[in-house]
Amino acid sequence: MSDIRRLPDDLVSRIAAGEVIERPGAAVKELVENAIDAGATTIDVRLDEGGRDGIWVTDDGRGMDPGELTLAVERHATSKLPTGDLTHIETLGFRGEAFPSIGSVSRMTITSRTAGADQAWAVTVDGAQVAAPIPAALAAGTRVEVRDLFHAVPARLKFLKQPRTEFGHAADAIKRVAMAFPHIAFSVADGERTAFRYSAGTGDLFAARLARLGQVMGREFADNALVVDAERDGVRLTGYAGVPTLNRRNAQAQYLFVNGRPVRDRLLLGAVRGAYQDLLARDRHPMLALFLEIGPEWVDVNVHPTKAEVRFRDAAMVRGLIVGALRHALAEAGHRASTTASVAVLGAARPGVYPGGFGGGGYPTGGGGAQRALAAATEFQSPQGFSEGPPTPFANSNLAPAARLAEEHIAPDEAHPLGAARAQLHATYIVAETSDGMIIVDQHAAHERLVHERIKAQMAATGIARQLLLSPVVVDLPESDAALLAARAGEFEELGLVMEAFGPGAVVVREVPALLGDVDVNGLIRDMADDLRELDEALALKDRLAEVCATLACHSSVRAGRLLNGPEMNALLREMEVTPNAGQCSHGRPTYVELKRADIERLFGRR
Amino acid sequence: MKFEIERASLLKSLSHVQSVVERRNTIPILSNVLIEAAGGKVAMTATDLDMSIVESVAADVGQDGATTTPAQTLYDIVRKLPDGSQIELAEEADGRLLVRAGRSQFHLPCLDRQDFPITDEGDLPSRFDIDAPALRRLIQKTRFAVSTEETRYYLNGIYLHTAEVDGVAVLRAVATDGHRLAQVDMPLPDGAAGIPGVIVPRKVVNELFRLIEDLDGPIAVSLSDDKIRVEFGETVLSSKLIDGTFPDYQRVIPEGNDKVLSVTAKDLIEAIDRVATVSTEKSRAVKIAVEKAKAVLSANSAENASATEELSVEYDAESLEVGFNSKYLIDILNECEGENAQFWLADAVSPTIVRDGDDEGALYVLMPMRV
Repeated sequence: MSDIRRLPDDLVSRIAAGEVIERPGAAVKELVENAIDAGATTIDVRLDEGGRDGIWVTDDGRGMDPGELTLAVERHATSKLPTGDLTHIETLGFRGEAFPSIGSVSRMTITSRTAGADQAWAVTVDGAQVAAPIPAALAAGTRVEVRDLFHAVPARLKFLKQPRTEFGHAADAIKRVAMAFPHIAFSVADGERTAFRYSAGTGDLFAARLARLGQVMGREFADNALVVDAERDGVRLTGYAGVPTLNRRNAQAQYLFVNGRPVRDRLLLGAVRGAYQDLLARDRHPMLALFLEIGPEWVDVNVHPTKAEVRFRDAAMVRGLIVGALRHALAEAGHRASTTASVAVLGAARPGVYPGGFGGGGYPTGGGGAQRALAAATEFQSPQGFSEGPPTPFANSNLAPAARLAEEHIAPDEAHPLGAARAQLHATYIVAETSDGMIIVDQHAAHERLVHERIKAQMAATGIARQLLLSPVVVDLPESDAALLAARAGEFEELGLVMEAFGPGAVVVREVPALLGDVDVNGLIRDMADDLRELDEALALKDRLAEVCATLACHSSVRAGRLLNGPEMNALLREMEVTPNAGQCSHGRPTYVELKRADIERLFGRR
Repeated sequence: MKFEIERASLLKSLSHVQSVVERRNTIPILSNVLIEAAGGKVAMTATDLDMSIVESVAADVGQDGATTTPAQTLYDIVRKLPDGSQIELAEEADGRLLVRAGRSQFHLPCLDRQDFPITDEGDLPSRFDIDAPALRRLIQKTRFAVSTEETRYYLNGIYLHTAEVDGVAVLRAVATDGHRLAQVDMPLPDGAAGIPGVIVPRKVVNELFRLIEDLDGPIAVSLSDDKIRVEFGETVLSSKLIDGTFPDYQRVIPEGNDKVLSVTAKDLIEAIDRVATVSTEKSRAVKIAVEKAKAVLSANSAENASATEELSVEYDAESLEVGFNSKYLIDILNECEGENAQFWLADAVSPTIVRDGDDEGALYVLMPMRV
């Protein structure tokens, strides 16, 4: 007698369901994707008790007739692979697994009415049992009702989190989908209230998308996002990338879509890291939403049960496209820094309330001093000469706490977005007047960035000098790592590191970048291998070179505390305008903040 | 404990021992110096757990005893006391240490001497005497090449061992950081035959060099596989050795370099220094183009500055151009005592040998740079 036996069908279904439907959010995602594939323009989702008690997904798509309904709940029945070719997947779903999988672990009712049909039909699935379609009432479209999810899988039920958490997961899944389809309206409700509602986007794809991204990722993102639009060999990358000063502690706010499908892929994440490198500290992550359109034959989406990962046929090309497009967008933005900082400034700038009232009491000028400073900066007129020496705040009732200048009066105009320098505060900050507001520049951070960029440019122009090693360093590595490194040896040589494969499980390093000095070659190579494996980009080497450049830049840049005269300040502003990435220092902090005139007026209640 | 001592002798001994004390310590007592007074002598001990130094000095001991007190503070006090003062140190009833000189009085906190870590080196099997100037030469000419890169700990010191040159046994010191190598030989001192090859840590080397800077007499060196003890006068310095294998340095010393360039070391240093001024990079590279009887040094920067300087040299082989890190070159040339330095070249990417015209026993290997 054999111990091996065939599992019953319903068990097989439940095992399969386990892979796809790991929590209510996964069921919601499958159902919403079905709705999108059905051509819906409005999708409403309701979850009770985080989806445990009930999930309702209603769409206004093309609907199904009774025959299709019966077929739809069978395993591997789908309308979506018309050619039967898995290499040509143009819809979100394709496996025909969603309905049967969900049905096998819940009590599911699908009600649907095709456009033009005179009534709707409903089919009910309870575990493995499928009932015959019965007439029902519904406007055109489809409504899927999922009740008692996982009632047949107690193990799964036991591991469900709090309803709030599960609702959060489901909402996240819907948000991701919503970002990719800005022209579809979404609403999500829990048992009591509507959690969020996204109206259908209008206008072209970019406008609609930006509006949708603003709804999902926050106003702040929409205000500080740069358009990304690049194409190479029929692969198109569009979307929005946040300026580097808008950063987060983790990579959660990085949304990547391949053909409308949200994915978390190490290659994509690595490319993002590479593009933002030396604009951000290692532990800060940019916010962005990128959409990759690639011919279905160039990507395999069928590698992960919930389709969260994909595989590219030409990964290097895709990486190059992403890095290139992001770099281009960031460089074009040039000196643009996040407005987040200035919003914070606005919050901090409150009218002074001093004992004895405005303008009286202990301070001779009181809040008026600050007012006058702003007035002086914005409505500056008469040349007054640059005052030397440390400023004495509030000592003189006529002078603002600032060193004023006017050796050369430059009118702010559109050609100079950073405006004309008007004063230096605390020998550290430059105040400049722009055509529609004012900016405050941190002189050290700004100059450091300029010097850093110059050093980088020089390094790129002259190449990196290499120190030959007396005895080559052999680094033992896992075979796969050694192969990864050896395959990119040409790229590393440009960065000053000469290595080659040394047998299957080692590389030998013969030359190192001279500016790294007495470097820990072993550690460097291991870090590079880790980065290559995780992110497909050897960041460790670039990081160390950048570190040396940054130190050098720091030492040879203007420090805080150094008094600058008018021409010096203006020269700094002009150079910032033409230098790429001048808006943030090497660690992603802003080099300047901007206050729009409207903001200033708001401060004084003029608006 | 109670004793009186002349400032100059206390200062000298304290300055010797206090530099072993690390400036910041997680174990408080390691910031302290152990002071032991007995039999007309005061012994002072300092340690960082790896290395320790004991120095004895004659004093007018009123009462035997021992205690520990912050080394840096005591040293600073003694340093600031007027020259020629007579200093009294005494343990007080409240456990503090009284330091009194003239009209100045200090009370320093003490830690129990029982807690002071005394390293017992035990018996070190090999022992030989070496003259201070000879030891100084070994250290001075090699220590610049010691690596500071902590992961290759076995390069963080000078490799001291015996070798044979043309059938004659020598004592040899070698240091390298993977970019350059320094090797200095001296006639084998009596009793040094059969000593183990040891790597003496950088800190020990530097301390030792400081201690014997103006010494002339013999120095007793005792070694085991993992410890070294150096004794001279009233001072004993002992330390752990670096537990590692020094790489087979012989492999990187080229044999076939046949193009010999002879140049006045001092002139070359000055020329390199001048030419490298224009280079803004961290690794200031200089190129040396040699042809018959002439060498042209050149350097340039990414900012479009450049410099050249011509030198008369002795050279009779084919023309050659090779780049070096200017700092590495100057480090080596600084150790060339004689008028002439000899470069034994092969090509632009192979190790170059530098020899001191007046010191046969010193040899340097330098790896070129690709610029």
